[in-house]
Amino acid sequence: MSVYSELPAKANEAWQAVETPPRPRIAVGITTCSLAQGADETLAALRREVAQRKLDVDVVVTGCWGLCYAEPMLEIAKPSGQRVLYQRVAAGRVPKLIDEALDGDGVSNDLALAAIGLTPVEGLPSFESLHIVSLQTRRLMANCGVIEPDSIDQYIGRGGYEGLAQALTMPSDGVIKEVSDAGLWGRGGAAFPTGRKWEFLAGAKARPKYMICNADEGDPGSFVNRTLMESDPHSIIEGMLIGGYACGASYGYIYIREEYPLCAERMETAIRQARERGVLGPDILGSGLSFDIEVVRGAGSYVCGEETGLIASIEDRRGMPKIRPPFPAQAGVFAKPTNVNNVETYANVPLIMRHGAPWYTTMGTEKNKGTKMFSLSGHIQRVAVLEVPFGMPLRRLIDACGGLPEGRTLKAIQPGGPLGGIINAEHVEIPLEPEPFREQGALLGSGGLVIFDDTACIVDMCLYFEWFAEDESCGRCTTCHGGTQRMVEILRRIANGGGRSSDKEMLRLLGDTMRWSNCAHGTAAPTVVLNMLAAFPEEYQEHVEGKRCPAKVCRGLVRYEITDSDPNLPDAAAICPTAAIVEEGGRYVIDQGLCIKCDACRELAPEAIQVVDVVGREAETPVA
Amino acid sequence: MAEKSLQIRKAHHLNESAKAQPELEALIADVKPGNTDLLAVLHRIQEAYGYVSPQVVPLLAAKLRTTPAMVFGAMSFYSEIRTEPPPRTTISWCSGPACRLKGSENIRRAVESILGESTPDLALGLRLVQCDGTCAQAPLLRLNGRTRGPLTVAEAIRLARELREARGNGR
Repeated sequence: MSVYSELPAKANEAWQAVETPPRPRIAVGITTCSLAQGADETLAALRREVAQRKLDVDVVVTGCWGLCYAEPMLEIAKPSGQRVLYQRVAAGRVPKLIDEALDGDGVSNDLALAAIGLTPVEGLPSFESLHIVSLQTRRLMANCGVIEPDSIDQYIGRGGYEGLAQALTMPSDGVIKEVSDAGLWGRGGAAFPTGRKWEFLAGAKARPKYMICNADEGDPGSFVNRTLMESDPHSIIEGMLIGGYACGASYGYIYIREEYPLCAERMETAIRQARERGVLGPDILGSGLSFDIEVVRGAGSYVCGEETGLIASIEDRRGMPKIRPPFPAQAGVFAKPTNVNNVETYANVPLIMRHGAPWYTTMGTEKNKGTKMFSLSGHIQRVAVLEVPFGMPLRRLIDACGGLPEGRTLKAIQPGGPLGGIINAEHVEIPLEPEPFREQGALLGSGGLVIFDDTACIVDMCLYFEWFAEDESCGRCTTCHGGTQRMVEILRRIANGGGRSSDKEMLRLLGDTMRWSNCAHGTAAPTVVLNMLAAFPEEYQEHVEGKRCPAKVCRGLVRYEITDSDPNLPDAAAICPTAAIVEEGGRYVIDQGLCIKCDACRELAPEAIQVVDVVGREAETPVA
Repeated sequence: MAEKSLQIRKAHHLNESAKAQPELEALIADVKPGNTDLLAVLHRIQEAYGYVSPQVVPLLAAKLRTTPAMVFGAMSFYSEIRTEPPPRTTISWCSGPACRLKGSENIRRAVESILGESTPDLALGLRLVQCDGTCAQAPLLRLNGRTRGPLTVAEAIRLARELREARGNGR
């Protein structure tokens, strides 16, 4: 503790400089999300303007506030204490922003989103009062967007590594007990109690022992771990360190997926800084604890997110999940005792050590304590990352994200990635915790929530998820690679109008068989299809018996036709990539042999072009 | 499937064809067995050359004190490790659920019908990538890593046609 007390001295100064900067400070959020929306150009434009105008202004890089829809975002803080968050600052808007926002205590009202910090700004809501923020409890995300991820001082200034210092004053089994008392369980999807897992490792005899951070967030539509790594990398290092102390581990790996290069960069920087400050390496903070961490970058494999697949990948082998037992706690990396936790799990640990289990358990429900981060995407107005206490109804998150696109209704929710299942919209009030999802035959999973509106076709999405599972199967178990393949074949046939009444039983049989696979990839792959049969029987039946796709998505069941005239038809004909729209005697018709059903023509001439059923009930005479 | 078997045939002849280049040897100099070096070195080679030539497999196997089959087996497991030179312009197509819901399958069909999966001269290539959570831009394409989105199908078609024109001739 005494050694730790030296760290914050300089750090507090760094944090003071953020809250009340000596001169205006522009902090641009640079993350994967914001870069996709041109934040690098915004940053370059800012630096250029500041240099050209010779302004006495600091331009720095911060992380993500979780409001993906509003990127590129930036914060302008002034010596007066005024701090304003700006949204959608494209590079072209930078000159006007500087004109208005850097003119004394001026605010650029067109782009201003909210006031942050303690000083209210006239005419602006506070960040906490925003509709998308007010329902949140930001514990894990307390630093996200706020600090510079490349500044260890700012992390320490905000109380960082205090949890570690606290842990080092306790016996190691006391640390595990505190984590168990907090009720922390693994956030990666399996929801296994973290304290129990750590007890297994602590009890293992062999040396060395390893702590692994699973940062292979492969579930498409999940990006909560990315947000944490890019915005608050030290929280993960601190969590791993505390785990290392508690379990007697001396080395850690952070396995980061290929798609997250910025996460790898920020984690590497954070590790280097932690070594420089003596919080990583030999004799940490004078405690005698030695621990170091290495980043391993994946190379595009979903099953490497399964803990034993990840271990195989670290061992320079094909990332194929292993057969258990032995469990990683007995024989993991290089056959040594190993613990694998998810990014978000580790990020919880410093909070528990700093504030104690009683504080931690003030949030959440009877069975599930604390908060959880969720990423919302799909048919939603505002794509975002939110952190809420367990048990909050799903509908509140959807509402906070601005609801569905104009005029659309909710059809389904897909939680927990491709293996997590699909839930019918009627369960939209479902509390966000594992048990109610399990009751629906689904998984809460790692935090991805993909929202489907009524334009989505459940059969098409099941085909997509099974295709994904097939593509990413490691190939060990026939039940998995063969099962997913058969499911894809059947679903594709259904989507092409060849559905048979025997398919339902066949899909169920495949689902049962696939549950005999070695790892969760195979056992959970049929979940979406079984959910479809249980929760969307009419839509499935309509595809199989009626040969109709109600959402008009499945290509084998629809065709495009010109049913009216539209002045835009020549444009539609010109855009057609296969030249399928031809003029015949002053009329446009679609050559069905050439049409690839890509929808481009209907975008341009929506009045004239209709998607109609190939066969089915529309063609029949309606019964009065 | 055809592509895979071709790679395997090539790998079969690796021991004979491997000719070490000094710069390549420098890249793999510090590779050690049991040190989690394989993925790192594959990334390093790919960053330097744009792909990992199968010629490097026996060299890596020697370094890692294992067989070429083990190295090739690991290398071919990962979809992001290329064993062929990449196209000069890569159009990445996100296969994620948010993009799918918003019509990415339409975009893929349209772009593929204009450009094909790749051109034989390696000028252009269309490539499937996994979701990285930039779903606010869905449906999206990436042009040499730069995100374009949200795109309508018509916009994607115009982009594909521009790229085809820029290349000089058609497919």
